[in-house]
Amino acid sequence: MATDTQIRVAPVQEPGAQKTAHGAGRFKLMGWGLLAPVLGFFLVLNVIPTFWLIGLGFYKYSLGRGTPQWRGIDNFTGIIESQEMWGAFGRTLRFMLVGVSIEVILGVALGFLFWGSVKMPGRRLALTLLFAPMVMAPVASGLFWKLIYEPTFGVINAIIQGLGGTKIDFLTSIDWALPAVLFVDIWMWTPFMILMTLAALGSVPAAELEAAEVDRLSFWNRLRHVILPHGKFILMLGVLLRTIDAFKTTDLIWTMTGGGPGNKTELIGVALYRQAFNSLDLGRASAVSLILLIIAIAFTSIYLYVLNLSKNR
Amino acid sequence: MSEKTLGQQVEENLMKGRGISRRGLLKGGAALGLAGILAACGDDEGEGSQTTINPEDVPDDSPLRGTQGDEMQGKHVDMGLAALSGWPPSQIPVDLYPDFSAYTEANFGYTTAVTKTEAPFAELFQKIAPSLAAGSQEYNIMVSDSQWLGALVEPGWIISADEIIALNPELDIPVYSSLVVNTYQVYPDGSGQRWGFPQMPDTQGIFMRLDWLEDPEEQAAFEAQYGYALPTTFDEFEPWTMKQYEDVFEFFTRPDEGIYGVAMQYSKEYDFFSCAYHPYAYATGDIWNPETGEVVGILNTDAHAEALEYFVSLQKYQPPGAEAFGIGSMIDLFNNGQVFSALQWNAVGLFMQGAEGELEGKVLVAPHPKFEFADGSIDVIGAMGGQPWVINSYNDDDHMRCAIDFLKWWYTDETQTKFIEQGGLPWSDAGVNEPGFEDSSAYARAFKYMLGEGKSRDFWHLPEYAELLAIQQEAYNGYAAGQFSDPKRVLDYIAVKQQELLIENDRCDVPIPDELKDVTLA
Amino acid sequence: MAVATTTRNGRTIWYYITLWAVALLFFAPVVWILMTGFKETADILATPPKLIFQPSLDNFQRVLAESETIPYALNSLWLALGSVVVAVAVSFPAAYAFSRWKFPFTDFLMFLLLSTRMIPAAAAVIPVFQMFNAFGLRGRLGMFLLYTSFSIPFSVWILKGFIDGVSERFDETAIVSGASRLHVMMRVVLPQVKPGLIAAFIFNLIFAWNEYIFNFVLGSAETQTVPFGLSVNLLAAGGNVDWGFVAAMSSMYVVLPMVMIFFFQKYLLVGMTFGTVRGDV
Repeated sequence: MATDTQIRVAPVQEPGAQKTAHGAGRFKLMGWGLLAPVLGFFLVLNVIPTFWLIGLGFYKYSLGRGTPQWRGIDNFTGIIESQEMWGAFGRTLRFMLVGVSIEVILGVALGFLFWGSVKMPGRRLALTLLFAPMVMAPVASGLFWKLIYEPTFGVINAIIQGLGGTKIDFLTSIDWALPAVLFVDIWMWTPFMILMTLAALGSVPAAELEAAEVDRLSFWNRLRHVILPHGKFILMLGVLLRTIDAFKTTDLIWTMTGGGPGNKTELIGVALYRQAFNSLDLGRASAVSLILLIIAIAFTSIYLYVLNLSKNR
Repeated sequence: MSEKTLGQQVEENLMKGRGISRRGLLKGGAALGLAGILAACGDDEGEGSQTTINPEDVPDDSPLRGTQGDEMQGKHVDMGLAALSGWPPSQIPVDLYPDFSAYTEANFGYTTAVTKTEAPFAELFQKIAPSLAAGSQEYNIMVSDSQWLGALVEPGWIISADEIIALNPELDIPVYSSLVVNTYQVYPDGSGQRWGFPQMPDTQGIFMRLDWLEDPEEQAAFEAQYGYALPTTFDEFEPWTMKQYEDVFEFFTRPDEGIYGVAMQYSKEYDFFSCAYHPYAYATGDIWNPETGEVVGILNTDAHAEALEYFVSLQKYQPPGAEAFGIGSMIDLFNNGQVFSALQWNAVGLFMQGAEGELEGKVLVAPHPKFEFADGSIDVIGAMGGQPWVINSYNDDDHMRCAIDFLKWWYTDETQTKFIEQGGLPWSDAGVNEPGFEDSSAYARAFKYMLGEGKSRDFWHLPEYAELLAIQQEAYNGYAAGQFSDPKRVLDYIAVKQQELLIENDRCDVPIPDELKDVTLA
Repeated sequence: MAVATTTRNGRTIWYYITLWAVALLFFAPVVWILMTGFKETADILATPPKLIFQPSLDNFQRVLAESETIPYALNSLWLALGSVVVAVAVSFPAAYAFSRWKFPFTDFLMFLLLSTRMIPAAAAVIPVFQMFNAFGLRGRLGMFLLYTSFSIPFSVWILKGFIDGVSERFDETAIVSGASRLHVMMRVVLPQVKPGLIAAFIFNLIFAWNEYIFNFVLGSAETQTVPFGLSVNLLAAGGNVDWGFVAAMSSMYVVLPMVMIFFFQKYLLVGMTFGTVRGDV
């Protein structure tokens, strides 16, 4: 993992070797014992539901409409043939790409900006305020942004009007709805990337940084040769986490637009929610989830692969 | 709330011949065989297994008769009540509950307390359905929106109102009009089988600023501009069609002053757009054929396309952002003086009087504007709202008795009077015709008017209502927002998708015509 | 706090101002929510929106007067707070085991743990609901266990990273001197990974604190948390949004996480390095 700067020392096999951890049967049991609770949780609350979900995807099952019936891959073919689903996927992809890109660029830039400010008065408070968007209950955030965007009662339009412009129906205009929601997402999660960037930068050994300064390395060279090699992992982890979460975005959209106007902000998470809870079509919802899971795993694998590649170079 | 063990409940359900989803769920993929066996005695039977009830066949001590003697002496029953949040008529039963406990103690010797679980309109069904699907009696008595009836009846989650009424004749209260029965009680439509008890009836009205109408300056300006006097009373507005109202809407649309003529609901959320639009559709045809399940050819007519176009065109008299207007927006806009009028449900009439009641006495409510019907006549048709009570069929004996007692208490004159005093609305013949009712509030007269025979109607009560709704809400809302530009095509799409859904669920045999099979929205 | 040297005073002041501006910019919408909490109903929907207004504690009083508020808050405390504590407590030994016992499936399992985040909540609810119903777990115990499971993956990741960074020499030395494994774990290693523990705690707390959908679908009356309360109390009598109520409730609710971030910030920043911190964060 993140320990490539650590030199692992192989345990010396001494006569008292049975007291060391590795390989000794008696103590391996202890290892398992320590692991047991986590494994227990994982198995019961993650693995089993996942398999259940996979299974359910092959059935036609709506809550309260009879017992599950086997459908084979009908649910899946239905999804692949569904224009609405492709539309939702497409929108989600665009949302994710634009959103994560901006969040990363902005977040990293701001992270660098904040990095050198350790001596700033009130830094702790400033950072706390900065992280507030992440911490506010999404229901509340979504709701209030809806008010903020509202043509009649909202702040933004009041300002626009004050400046002499015409009001914009942010959340009900087919042109503005998705960007408006995207903006809120960016507002909410850029602080996360700032946090990850600060952490990534913090993982760079101070000694190397000082050496780089002494050597008068340019910013870019410092970045490439000193900062990135160390901070890469954390940054990539941040990007990965953000990507997966962006893909799943549901609550925000549900609160702000309900997927509308029309289907302009109907992302896959929203469509899924509708399937599962409006139609109570659990079979179809499970099938969609499975597809999302596969996509997410694919993303993660690609990320990790790229990460490992550059690690081992 | 006493929870039975899984075994007990399953056994009970088997005996009552109701659906068993729990075992089937448990095994999931593996025991298909078991599921198959269970399916044979499960909820594939459809609308529950009650048919005509002969009161003599039901044992005297059946809990469905309510408490009859001493059987509940000394007990305490905790009831779970599921209700709509942000909807006062739903809250009133909870507020009045202590009265009920006093009633049960005095009459039957037991006390009771209530735990309320609530959720907004768009989410309450999602909250109770999984619980009911698991055979839980977590919610002993529930407020259901009228269109959920089918979804609750078919899996056998609620008990038959016919059965209860047969055993408890005092609950057979004469209704004001067949609208009440058809909207809140009957499923399937037209079968006469009753499953719910009316809790809160609701109809549509147009709320207007009486003070603006009566203002002499406005009066003069209107007459000068349009050549006739601006009406100021219910009777003057009552015969008006939507087109006639347009004059008034236009007159009050003054964006520079920040006010607009009207506000209507175009929101994609829940059923807001549909309920606002359906009157236009009902006037020019129908939205489906309940007998055959057909939608194509009925919904997607040219007349409907025109109606849809007309409905959306009325946005010109409305504040910006109309595509997101729902029930709440009507209140906010009207109360804050942003609009002259709003098309709104009468059930929230109490809250359309200013944020702090400052508009009391300044509001005039007229029935929903009329339309020119397909046959050339001018008539009124509105959408129906409102909620019935439904009773969980998984209640154990004690809870069932308590639930029946609750209904009996709820419909006593004393309770109903209190209910109406706090903002509830009557639905019984006696209640609606009570002298003085029409003057009891600004909206009472309009409410009563729209509750009259043939004046309003509800849409599908099918279990698939949510999906049918979702299809059209998205399409309609998209059209209103300008994402889709051809109203006929929007209607074609909705009709095809809805019929496909009905075909898939065995409610329709008529295939989609080839030329429409691949219709898309955009 | 030391101020920059006089020669760079000017630039530094601008630098700090910029940083503060950025922070305030991000915080601005939250300020709007806070302000709304102090506004009277009439002022909230005033057109144009009011920046200057007569503050009132009405909304806050209403929230506190609402009978369900205290139960919601208590539920949030024991459910969110409690579950994260337990999760971290359980993840630490597991992370230790992963780190020291080099199981062959470690990487795979770590990846799987991460992948549990990938299932959309709406989907994950379905099977869990059915399971919980079948085993009568929809009450307090079930919800607690479920919430705990949410916090485990991240905790294991962070803690393993930190523990990996603690040289095994420490372990060996202690064991050779006769200490038990348990002692090594708790007395030798634990203190050295404190930032990781706190970071895991705070990070997961934020998620658990604001968790809504599982609480809504799976929860029973006795497990309803504030996010749940927010969504059902959203609407005022009549069906329009009770902005004041929501503002007041969410403002109060966000205090706890914000306070934690403020006081444990250093640990949070260090903790997110997954054990590789070397310099100042």
